[in-house]
Amino acid sequence: MTEQIRAVLQESRVEQAEIDRYAEEVSAIIGIEKVSKNHIDILSTCRDYWPVSSIWMLEGAVPALPQLVVWPQTTEEVSQILALAHERRIPVVPYGEGSGALGGVVPLKGGIMIDMKRMNRIRELDHENLLVTVECGLNGALYEEQLNRSGYTGGHFPQSLRCSTVGGWLACRAAGQFSTRYGKIEDMVVAAEAVLADGTVFRERSVPRTATGPRVDHLFIGSEGVLGVITAATLRIWPLPEKRHLASYTFEKLEDGLEAIRMFMRAGARPAVVRLYDAQETGNHFPELGDKRCVLILLIEGAAAIVNGEKDVIEECVSARNAEDTGPEHVKHWLETRFNISAASRLLQKGAVLDTIEVTTNWHNAYSTYSAMQEALKDVEGTMLASGHWSHVYPEGAALYITVVGFPGDDKIVYYKKIWQSAMTACLAEGAAISHHHGIGLHRGQWMAEEHGKGLDVLGRIKNALDPHGIMNPGKLGLGEVRKWQK
Amino acid sequence: MAEVNMEELLNCALCPNICRCECPVLQVSGREAVAPSGKARLAAMLQHKQLNWDEPVFEALSNCLSCRGCTIYCPFTELSLCDELLNTRLAAKASGIRLPVIDPCISNLKNYGSPYGQKGGPSAAGKKGAKVLYFAGCTSQANHPSSIDAARKLLNKAGVSFQMIDEDCCGYPAEVWGDQELARQLAAENRRKIVDSGASILVTNCPECWLTFTDRYPVWEQDLPLEVIDGPTYFLRLLREGQLEPKKSELEKISYHDPCIWARAAKKTDEPREILSLIPGINVQEPLSYGEQTRCCGGGSMFQLSFPETAAAIAERRLKEFPEDAIIVTACPFCREGLLQEGRRVLELVEILEQSC
Repeated sequence: MTEQIRAVLQESRVEQAEIDRYAEEVSAIIGIEKVSKNHIDILSTCRDYWPVSSIWMLEGAVPALPQLVVWPQTTEEVSQILALAHERRIPVVPYGEGSGALGGVVPLKGGIMIDMKRMNRIRELDHENLLVTVECGLNGALYEEQLNRSGYTGGHFPQSLRCSTVGGWLACRAAGQFSTRYGKIEDMVVAAEAVLADGTVFRERSVPRTATGPRVDHLFIGSEGVLGVITAATLRIWPLPEKRHLASYTFEKLEDGLEAIRMFMRAGARPAVVRLYDAQETGNHFPELGDKRCVLILLIEGAAAIVNGEKDVIEECVSARNAEDTGPEHVKHWLETRFNISAASRLLQKGAVLDTIEVTTNWHNAYSTYSAMQEALKDVEGTMLASGHWSHVYPEGAALYITVVGFPGDDKIVYYKKIWQSAMTACLAEGAAISHHHGIGLHRGQWMAEEHGKGLDVLGRIKNALDPHGIMNPGKLGLGEVRKWQK
Repeated sequence: MAEVNMEELLNCALCPNICRCECPVLQVSGREAVAPSGKARLAAMLQHKQLNWDEPVFEALSNCLSCRGCTIYCPFTELSLCDELLNTRLAAKASGIRLPVIDPCISNLKNYGSPYGQKGGPSAAGKKGAKVLYFAGCTSQANHPSSIDAARKLLNKAGVSFQMIDEDCCGYPAEVWGDQELARQLAAENRRKIVDSGASILVTNCPECWLTFTDRYPVWEQDLPLEVIDGPTYFLRLLREGQLEPKKSELEKISYHDPCIWARAAKKTDEPREILSLIPGINVQEPLSYGEQTRCCGGGSMFQLSFPETAAAIAERRLKEFPEDAIIVTACPFCREGLLQEGRRVLELVEILEQSC
């Protein structure tokens, strides 16, 4: 039945007889109930939240189809699945909850989809050392819920919290909305457990730091499934905060807001949430503030004495840039609506193409990158909106998050490619990095050579050494040509 | 047969689903095909003729407990995914597609008016022509008739003149399984008996019966010409009016499990707690999720008959949310059945109340 469905990017497929033989043998090892060739399971794991997949869905097409779905429940089973696939040269794509925005799970060469969601236990909660060891298929919201139940927080709140897994965060090098205080996922990982393409399992020790050579487990953070499968991780946790302070300010100019943030970061304040919206997004998200000024949303939390100190530092810095205090209510509104992404479904049905493009800037090019990307996007025919905000701030810079919406008429894919080409060209010209936290996936791979230079070659050599048959998530992270998806 | 709302279905199909954490079937199975958007996509493909009906498709679309857990965080306020999936499934019968496992249950419905076979519980009882008609429901009759006995004793203690009829299944299971024609037949038979009873108030023990009478009977053109009241609200009324006077309960630590229908469809989360608060000596400890945020016991949409392994896994997951030493009290025969696993004591609200009165 799936043969009738147009799989736009399917590069190749494994001989069906080979898949049948693999399915039979792997079923004998891990259990037939953990293996499916059923067309509905194949159809359901063929995509993620890449907007192009949604556009094709409305046209009755899919990006590409796997041929087999497996649901391991233990690290040993992951090892068995991979060892057999390695022996037979069958491609394998790891799957979490499908919230990736760049086609990272599209099975370009068919093969096996390894759905990690049945590996969803918390293995150990270490109260003394403030660590948790968790399997990678656990849903993010359920992870946080279990920690809260014991008086802790994981500190990681991506917009996809409720529709992503811990493993997805690690594989895509994710960042959460509270990251300025708690760090990004790579700051939270103390040790990881992963399985290589040939089935080798390795685990690093959960010590605070080592000087015992490079941390090989950290190589897997952000590897998007091309090096192996992350199966578990030991992560830092924090006691639930004693105090939370909410504040918002508006600025006449974006540059004033950026400078205020730079100054309080330089002074050592680390509010959990820092979000500075341009005037257009201020008007869209907080209509009561109008669309002439730029709002800064702040959430400070932790021990009361520290929160009070940070509040004083921040107030001084924003006052120096003539900020207007607009109170805590806008932050409450943001907290209530921060996971809501309903607009995309509605706009897509009305013929829109929309996406979000997040890049990393230093302070010196924060504003110029914003201006350049916005102008480049507005120059593409069909663009209705190109707006932006900054979040995830550091002493040395911040993540710039651009939202673009267009109504291009019939050729949505051509428009989609144009906006990305324009945005990435502007980003690279300004010296910014092409991704802050969404990752590379399939789509953004085409700019990886410009981003990394020779570094991509190094990554390719590591990939070849760890996965000599190239079975792990082919065509992702800019490694390997993707013939049917070019600039 | 109701039309599928394609715009709402596509809203779900195109969404990354911030509801995923609250979909019990997804969380215990890990299967994308039964995620809310997974089912919505399959349903949309059926509507667009990109997919044909077959057993795996029907099985996936039946993997919805109608617990409405997905509505807790759903940004689409007009979307009722369980209703869209139900409306989608109703089209399968024309293709001869069904869940083979429930064939005996469908036969039982046709032969005995109950999916469980011959009715074992009490049939017609009470005072003919009485104003209050107590509708026990086939699941309580089959699995836990003690709750029906408790309700009858309570009504007697309150001095309520009531009656019970030789009821048939409300029709809900038949529709869930895709046979709306059979559901309508059962509804018509029940309606005839209810009207003939002369009662003016219908009290339901089972939340699924309540929802079927109030929501589905009008759709099936079988509107009931009397007031339909859920059990918790009715017994709370008797307590408030002083017709029941609870004394000290011997049960100390209890935890109330909100049935999904009472909590999210009927919005009845305060009434059961008020009843418990009126019983002296009871210490109520809430489970991890409660009220309108409650989580399913695994018994919705007849899962205990259609997908018993999934139902048991969901119940096991839910049980972990309760204090280990608490007696679980609920107000639904499906929840009771699901949560009644080894080492746990589960009672229904009417039984607790009856024991204390």
